[in-house]
Amino acid sequence: MLLPKFDFHEPASVEEACQVMAEFKEKAKPLAGGTDLMVNMKKKIVSPEQIVSLGRIDTLKDLSRENGTLKIGACFTVADLAVSETVQKLVSALGSGGRALGSPLVRNLATIGGNIGSARPAADLPPSLMAYGARLSIESSRGSRELDIEKFFKGPGMTALAPDEVITAIHVDIPGPGAGAGYINIGVRRAQDCNIVNVASFLALDEKDGAVKTARIVMGSVGPTPMRAPTAEKVLVGSRPDASLFAEAAAAAEQDCSPILDFRGSAEYRRAMVGVLTRRTLEIALKEAQRG
Amino acid sequence: MKKLITLTVNGKSHEVAVEPNETLTDTLRYRLGLTGTKKGCEVGDCGSCTVVMDGKPVNSCLVLAMQAAGRTIETIEGMETEKGLHPLQEAFVEKGAIQCGFCSPGMILSGKSLLEKNPNPSEAEIRGAISGNLCRCTGYQKIVEAIQSVKSE
Amino acid sequence: MSRFNVINSRARRIDTPDKATGRAVFIDDMSLPGMLYGALVQSPVAHARIVGIDASAAAKLPGVKDIVTAKEAGMIKYGVSPARYDETLFCHDKVRYVGDEIAAVAAVDREIAQEAVSLIKVEYEELPAVFTVEEAMAAGAPQLHDEYPGNVCAEVHQEFGDVEKAFAECDLIRTTTFKNKRQDAAFIEPMGCIAAYDLSGRLTLYSSTQVPHYVQRTVAMVLGLDVGRVRVVKPYVGGGFGIKAAANSGEMAASLLSKRTGRPVKLTYSREQVFMFGRARHGFAHTMTTGVKKDGTLMALKHECYLDGGAYSSFGIATVYYAGSLLGGPYRLPNMKYDGFRVYNNKPACGAQRGHGGVAARAAWEQQLDMIAEELSIDPVDLRLKNMMQAGDTTCNDLNMSSLGMEECIEAVKDGSGWTSKKGKLPKGKGIGMACGFFVSGAGYPIYRSDTYHGTVVIKLTEDGGTALVYTASAEIGQGSDTTFAMIAAEALGVPLSSVRLASGDTDMGVDLGAYSSRQTLMTGHAVKEAAEDVKAQVLDVMADELDVPADKMDIKDGKIVFTAGDVDISALRTRYIKEHRGWIDNIEEGPLTFKEASRIAYLARGSIVGTGKYKPPELGGKFKGAAVGTSPAYGCSAQVVEVEVDMETGHIKIEKMTDAHDCGLAINKTSVEGQMHGSLSMGLGEALYEEVKFDEKGRVINSDLAEYKIPTSLDMPNVDTIIVESDEPNGPFGAKEVGEGAIMPTIPAILNAVYDATGVRIFELPLTPERVYMALKKAKKKNA
Repeated sequence: MLLPKFDFHEPASVEEACQVMAEFKEKAKPLAGGTDLMVNMKKKIVSPEQIVSLGRIDTLKDLSRENGTLKIGACFTVADLAVSETVQKLVSALGSGGRALGSPLVRNLATIGGNIGSARPAADLPPSLMAYGARLSIESSRGSRELDIEKFFKGPGMTALAPDEVITAIHVDIPGPGAGAGYINIGVRRAQDCNIVNVASFLALDEKDGAVKTARIVMGSVGPTPMRAPTAEKVLVGSRPDASLFAEAAAAAEQDCSPILDFRGSAEYRRAMVGVLTRRTLEIALKEAQRG
Repeated sequence: MKKLITLTVNGKSHEVAVEPNETLTDTLRYRLGLTGTKKGCEVGDCGSCTVVMDGKPVNSCLVLAMQAAGRTIETIEGMETEKGLHPLQEAFVEKGAIQCGFCSPGMILSGKSLLEKNPNPSEAEIRGAISGNLCRCTGYQKIVEAIQSVKSE
Repeated sequence: MSRFNVINSRARRIDTPDKATGRAVFIDDMSLPGMLYGALVQSPVAHARIVGIDASAAAKLPGVKDIVTAKEAGMIKYGVSPARYDETLFCHDKVRYVGDEIAAVAAVDREIAQEAVSLIKVEYEELPAVFTVEEAMAAGAPQLHDEYPGNVCAEVHQEFGDVEKAFAECDLIRTTTFKNKRQDAAFIEPMGCIAAYDLSGRLTLYSSTQVPHYVQRTVAMVLGLDVGRVRVVKPYVGGGFGIKAAANSGEMAASLLSKRTGRPVKLTYSREQVFMFGRARHGFAHTMTTGVKKDGTLMALKHECYLDGGAYSSFGIATVYYAGSLLGGPYRLPNMKYDGFRVYNNKPACGAQRGHGGVAARAAWEQQLDMIAEELSIDPVDLRLKNMMQAGDTTCNDLNMSSLGMEECIEAVKDGSGWTSKKGKLPKGKGIGMACGFFVSGAGYPIYRSDTYHGTVVIKLTEDGGTALVYTASAEIGQGSDTTFAMIAAEALGVPLSSVRLASGDTDMGVDLGAYSSRQTLMTGHAVKEAAEDVKAQVLDVMADELDVPADKMDIKDGKIVFTAGDVDISALRTRYIKEHRGWIDNIEEGPLTFKEASRIAYLARGSIVGTGKYKPPELGGKFKGAAVGTSPAYGCSAQVVEVEVDMETGHIKIEKMTDAHDCGLAINKTSVEGQMHGSLSMGLGEALYEEVKFDEKGRVINSDLAEYKIPTSLDMPNVDTIIVESDEPNGPFGAKEVGEGAIMPTIPAILNAVYDATGVRIFELPLTPERVYMALKKAKKKNA
């Protein structure tokens, strides 16, 4: 399998990367871990003329904590995400997503920015990032902007990125006490699988009565983009969490999604699994929220 | 257009002219003659092209040669020592962990990377570490046993 | 203590140090000076008339050295079985599946070859296509081959005993239907070859194949060359499992291109092309009606089967026979009726895969037997034991069980798994199931009708003495046959394994039908043993002359000459040997006469000591049509117990434990036997739970990669408890028989039976994906509500 012909750029800084992207715009594609882009190029799904590798920009590989926010560089690898104690302690559902992605070999290359930027509806990291309410730093030679990750996905492979822009960092507000999140994905086998359904849930409880203050449920693989489950969230907010409430929310989530049938699974199965995973991720989130 | 890069493979520095669209797998195999790195799927599914790059096992079919320039690459050919087989290679032979042998180089490199990070892995950790390396012959059991057998050495 | 010195041990394999270090050479690791790169032009449509081929733009592309189509290749028909030669190297009139080969190019590099392929314009007139058995058999359906009306590639109608009469005497008769899906072998090394035609008109074809012999014959026939001018050499092969057990179009195209250009041509398949080529497990649809007595005595089986065959026959005729004949055992079944149909359609051809023809049938029947056991309130283990054949029994379709360790296998897995404490006693969601199976140790007849030997072997002793060179055309494809044969040679000759060097996989070394139908250990093994005994006899014959001791009073053991009738003065011989080796410092000064000394003296007396061995089975089987398929000199058999946990909400099945016992006769290499058991169970697990080749509505494979075609990963396979049962097989070399395929037989039904035990729901369609299990559970819930 041969790759199409292209020119290769390896900028040493974000600024330089932005310059190259500005020069070539639609003809250029940023290359992070390559676990999606390289495959798509080999399968001739995309044939960009210019490849802009971000792999030599060290500032994109950092993880830092500032004022209650976790800042993750776009080229932070999924392998690091999967084992990071900081991630596990502060945003465990993101760590679960990291461990669920592909295989160890893929995780060693794949990056968080790439997993977001490729905008695959079944991707492992976006649901938990959306559940945590993450924001993206996006830069171009025209300047920089911050975007709520929820506004980023436009469809399979389609995003809010302009042709000259690159994602540089992901910001996640660290949940306070009384908050927790969970992520579960299901496929067919236990590694190297494309998800049939993946769900992340976030819960923040009221300190006084323990009722649900905030709920965000994000469903993957059941629509053109990862999507929120608004009805299910409404069911939760204001009530005290228990098994019957979660069952009600799970039933609502099943109605919130719009799965299609493809060769990986039927709409009926996907919808049912949204229910099961919603309930199970809420249970994880609650446990974490109540752990104090 | 070809570009001259420097690849450090198994401790040796190679100057090699590569095309921008050339994968590290192809450079290792067809330019440097290191054919121990195999091609089973070419899209990151099977792990037979596994090499260790900057200390981490990766699918070399998903890495451009140019991305690997200046980095440290370890292939299966670098594992033998003057004394002969590396203990993990020895264990693969001894335990019958090799049948057709096509996945073995990648499997051994994944196992070696695990043992370097975690000298005493559990069975679950071993199974996790090699879950990107597909094997159709062995059912993995003797591979797991082989890695287990050298874990405390 | 083993009564053997070399075999029946856990000897290290002779090929694995090279494989562990990356030194082992596989086909794509090779290159030859001046080598060109070949590529195939394949149909993008499933069924179409070829209106025209325009290769002019490709021909003009710099670096393109040759382009061949049916015009250049000719119309010689080939296939697997001469009874159904229905393929030509390139399509000339029409294409019959997405991937059908139309042309090939040779160019100076891979990139140019690919570009040339894209420049070849083929004009198609699309024809209506059929993709399923039902569509293909419908009245007025489009026809694939004019010679085979109704798209029926082959049909089988057999009856042994009188099924209807037996049913009339039964207390319980049950009918079930069962379906598997097309599968892919998913070996990790895609096929590839290098063809090198030299100036004296000889073709050497290096290929990733299981069957150098059949490839040699097919390529010679299609290219119009004398068989003697074609040499096929197999480098190390990264698995085959049946798909590499026949010549493929790449081998023939590369050979033709090399013949025309005079340069070596390499042609390798991409993973996608492996899926397009197909030739793996058929899709089977079985309907089985089984009748029993109240006490569980099996009376009769009525069996109907439809095979989703794809566009060409490949192994299909054998497959459709095997699907019926392999139910003749291992239970005493006096009456059996079988009607099988292999049907063409516009998908890639199906062929042979591990457990050829018998895997889905076995799954269907073993599940049905469990259902019957439940209705009769008999433990599934007891039902099987009650009906088990004994060594020496012959099935109703004339298959003779010359050895059969089935009972030992069942008892072993029953004890090993803790069956009695678990069956029916596990909590909801957890289950245990068992099943049995058996398989041939080599097909009783070659694929082409012939009295040919199935294997010939030459052993030559090195002239300096001490080393035996074993030459066999058999195929090491990962299963460990090279080591097995080196061990057999060492044992039979009486020398340590280190004194044997073995070369294999080269048609110049003799005839060997290759690695399929689990034949090599028994058949090639016999030939190796005979050749080793031949050289041993020659050496002892010379010793008899030299030492004036009768040859039958001598033996060779562990590299030493043993005199069984008292001490013999060997000093003169030793002195002579030492004189031969003047200046060498490793001469033996004392102790018994060694094989090294003796074989040197033998050479001095007679020239090169060369021994030959050969094997073909005796005439086997009955006289009815198709009686040959299923015959074998011996049968391996096995029993398995599987424990599962089912997530009742998502339908996910976790295989928690597998206990497997296999009767392989005498185990030549115990580690290799376990390796085959592990591999079989792993493939069976994949087929049971995940694997299915899927097509879109245009007949294109959707999941043509190893991400979407899901074989088990290390996280999906549990540890397996493997128990080797060693019956004494009278027809096997040292009593050895098969393990490579029989071990897969019980896996799928044991899983099916365990899933039922866990959920209370029977599922009659594979694979047991979470969705299929979920839907089945849901349906059952609705029904019960």
